[in-house]
Amino acid sequence: MSDAILKVEGVIKNFGGFRAVGGPDGLTFNVPRGGFLGLIGPNGAGKSTTFNLVSGVLKPSEGRVVLEDKDLSDCKASDIAGLGLARTFQTPRAFPSLTVLENVMVGVSHTNEGPFSAMLGNWRQSDGELREKAQAALAKVGLHGHEDDEVGNLSGGELRMLEVARQLVREPKVFLLDEPTAGVDPTLQQKLASLLADLHAAGTTLIVVEHNLAFLLNLADRVVVLQNGALLAEGAPDEIRRNPDVVAAYLGADHEA
Amino acid sequence: MIQSLLLSTLMFGALFSVLSISLNLQYARGGMINFGTVAYFAAGAYAYAIFTQEPPSGLDQYAFGFDLPWWAGFLAAGVAATLFALITGWPTLRLRGEYLALTTFAFAEVLHSFLLNERRIGNGSVGLANVERPDLSFFGLDEQIGYAVAACVLMLVTAWLFNRLLASPYGRLVDATRDDETAAEAVGKDTTRTRLQVFVISAIPIGFAGALYAMITTLVSPALFTAEITFFVWIALVLGGERTILGAIIGTMALVFFQELVRMIPFESVRSAQIAASVEEVLTGVLFIIVLRWQPWEKMKRRKGA
Ligand SMILES: Nc1ncnc2c1ncn2[C@@H]1O[C@H](COP(=O)(O)OP(=O)(O)OP(=O)(O)O)[C@@H](O)[C@H]1O
Ligand SMILES: [Mg+2]
Repeated sequence: MSDAILKVEGVIKNFGGFRAVGGPDGLTFNVPRGGFLGLIGPNGAGKSTTFNLVSGVLKPSEGRVVLEDKDLSDCKASDIAGLGLARTFQTPRAFPSLTVLENVMVGVSHTNEGPFSAMLGNWRQSDGELREKAQAALAKVGLHGHEDDEVGNLSGGELRMLEVARQLVREPKVFLLDEPTAGVDPTLQQKLASLLADLHAAGTTLIVVEHNLAFLLNLADRVVVLQNGALLAEGAPDEIRRNPDVVAAYLGADHEA
Repeated sequence: MIQSLLLSTLMFGALFSVLSISLNLQYARGGMINFGTVAYFAAGAYAYAIFTQEPPSGLDQYAFGFDLPWWAGFLAAGVAATLFALITGWPTLRLRGEYLALTTFAFAEVLHSFLLNERRIGNGSVGLANVERPDLSFFGLDEQIGYAVAACVLMLVTAWLFNRLLASPYGRLVDATRDDETAAEAVGKDTTRTRLQVFVISAIPIGFAGALYAMITTLVSPALFTAEITFFVWIALVLGGERTILGAIIGTMALVFFQELVRMIPFESVRSAQIAASVEEVLTGVLFIIVLRWQPWEKMKRRKGA
């Protein structure tokens, strides 16, 4: 487990004069291969910004992110995704002019995806297989039966699950989820919990941002707590629950420890 | 009379449909506003003329003439449009919406004034006359009919290829890139590359259409390639309902028919012909505004969907 698949090394992100991530010395933490990391902290602590920095949506002002010994500093977001990193967004994103199924199919890489293959038509053989994969991913997040729906007709929670399915179908090595249970009903939350547990068991590295600690702390094997962009605490879920700094800054004195 | 009206509508309608089909791919599907359409058309026409004409002699001011057969000129037109699309697309595709529209427009204006002022390309404002064209009598066809058929073939091939393109996984990628680039990047899609590909692919048939246009008119000159052509194609696209290849074709055919009809009216004097020309433009504008304001196609679509 000492083998870190993802390393965040002294990362700082400034927006103008405001330091959203990094604190005084930059943010540093490692994620072991196959680990399940919970990333928590108050609103505005810099959790989503950290996700943006890791996934290449934003570039660090200082420091670097390393994925499997590869420095991501010069990588585009699409390159990073191509290396096996997946992420969802806090505000779910979708492709409104595609159906639900097509939204997921965009996620699967296609060997004959280029424009010339398209005109020659030699993508057809593999498209059926792709469709089945996408359907299976939709079933895993409880969206079976919605394949041909328009994205615009999905509920907020369903939209969130659609985004999970679109990344799931890519079979990522590292999967970052930003508040996956927000707006999702309890039944589906349970489904999501068992899905994440299965992924974890299968060796996928997970990093999950969540304010729903009952959900997260049962699943995660390690927790990083951010406050004002800096690392406030790091440890096993039980240590974090009892950590007086975390209690003061985030959990509140009367949380159920 | 009627026959020649229908024939020229078919010929120019099909020819300009190639432009509107390409614009449909670029704008309606790719989400890129290109207000420099005429530049790729001009690049194709000039490339064709230059590659097929004889080397300069006598009073010619142009510097190049390669005297190649028509098909080599036709291919050169495609290459020229590709190159111009790469040159204009590479630095500008980072821009969005109206910024892209303005820059592409500016690029087209630069090309226009370059053709006008750099006489070594195409004799400046005089242009290149007597452009070579293939001998269609070989097929036993009337010239006009032959070129109408050629335009239809180019239109159909373009429509067919673009239709295949959009019906494939690549079509999904194009739609996804337009809808949400960040989300497309998050599943590993290089949206910059996709946008450039779409931009260039849709410029190629425009270049071929330019070559065909040069064959039909046997003249290329800067006066033939003004921003009016760009706006004409945009209006045709909007008239046709914007989002489908068939719509683009119908819109273009209708607009060309309307213009050819006005042109058919015999006039007593130059003055009245001039007035008619302005009236035609005003009417085109009014038609455009009506379509934009009441969106009849959207309503039809909704009725069909309901
Ligand atoms: N693009 C941006 N420009 C300027 N400031 C930003 C930008 N993105 C984030 N911030 C600021 O950075 C800080 C951290 O934001 P971030 O979204 O990372 O918080 P978070 O920990 O995800 O919070 P929440 O729990 O509410 O989602 C906030 O103060 C936010 O206002
Ligand atoms: Mg957040």
